[in-house]
Amino acid sequence: MKKLTRFIAVFLYIYAFYIMFTASTTEFSLTLGFIASALLAALSTPFLIQRNLGAHDLKSFAYLLLYYFRYMIIEEYKAHKQVIKIVLSRKLDIKPAIVKVPYSVKTDYGMTLIAGSITNTPGTCVVDVDEKRHLFYVHWIYATTIEPEKAREEISKVFEEYAAKIFG
Amino acid sequence: MIDMVLASAGLTLIAIGVFCDFVAAIGLIRLPNFFTRLHAATVGAIGGAVVPMLGAALLAIGYEPLGETRFILAGVAFTTSIVTMILSQAGSHALARAAYRARAAPLQPITYDALAEKRGDSSE
Repeated sequence: MKKLTRFIAVFLYIYAFYIMFTASTTEFSLTLGFIASALLAALSTPFLIQRNLGAHDLKSFAYLLLYYFRYMIIEEYKAHKQVIKIVLSRKLDIKPAIVKVPYSVKTDYGMTLIAGSITNTPGTCVVDVDEKRHLFYVHWIYATTIEPEKAREEISKVFEEYAAKIFG
Repeated sequence: MIDMVLASAGLTLIAIGVFCDFVAAIGLIRLPNFFTRLHAATVGAIGGAVVPMLGAALLAIGYEPLGETRFILAGVAFTTSIVTMILSQAGSHALARAAYRARAAPLQPITYDALAEKRGDSSE
C-alpha cells in the first residue's frame, strides 16, 4: 500500500508534466502518455523516494511552490541587480573569494535545493561540498565577509529556512 | 482586454530577457577569469532564458489567431523554462568543481580561498 502511494505520486508528476508539455487532449496522446508515465514511474520510484509519504507532504509541496514564487521574484531580482551593476559600472569593482557556508539540513533533497538556489542566484556559485562537516564552498563575486556564519546569514539563510520546511 | 494584458506582460518579460542577455554577453568579455564569468553566465541562464521563456508562454496564450496551437506553444515554453531553471544549476556545479579540481582555470584575482585549506589538510 505504501509502495503504491509512492508510485502514484511519481506517476502523477510525470503524467502532469507530459500533459503540460504536449498540451494535446486526443485519446491517442493521453493513452500513450499514460502507458509511458506508468512505465517510467515504475522504473524510477525506488531511486526517487525512499521514505513513506503522508498528508504533510502536500503541505511541503505547497511550500515548495510558494518558495519558488518568492525566490524567483525577490532573491533573483536582488542578485541580478548586483551583478548587472558590477558588469555595467565603469570601473570593475569585484572582490571574489571562496567562502565556507555551513548548512544544517539532513536530507539530500534539502542539500540539492540549497546548493541549487545558491548557484542559480548570480553572484554566488557552489564550487564544492563537504558532507562530513556540513559545508558548502561558495565562490562569491563580491565577498563582504569571510566568516562562515556571517556568510550564511547573507547567502543562504532564506533558502535554508524553506529547505528545512520542505524537505526536513 | 485579457489578450492585451497577456501580450504586454509577455513582451515585458521578453524585454527583460534581452537586457539580461546583453549584460551577460558584456560580462563574459569584461570579467577577469573563469569563475567570475560563471556568474555572468548565470545572469544569461536565469534572466536571459527562464524569464523570456515564461514571457513567450504568456504571449502565445494571448495570441488568438493561432487557435489550438497556442496551448502547445505555451505548454512547451512553460515546461522548458521550469526545466531550465531546475537543471542549469547542475551544469554550473559540474563546471566550477571540475575547473577548480583540475586547476584548469586561473584563480586570480581572488581575495580568500577557503577550499585551499581543505585541500591542504586532507591529502587526497
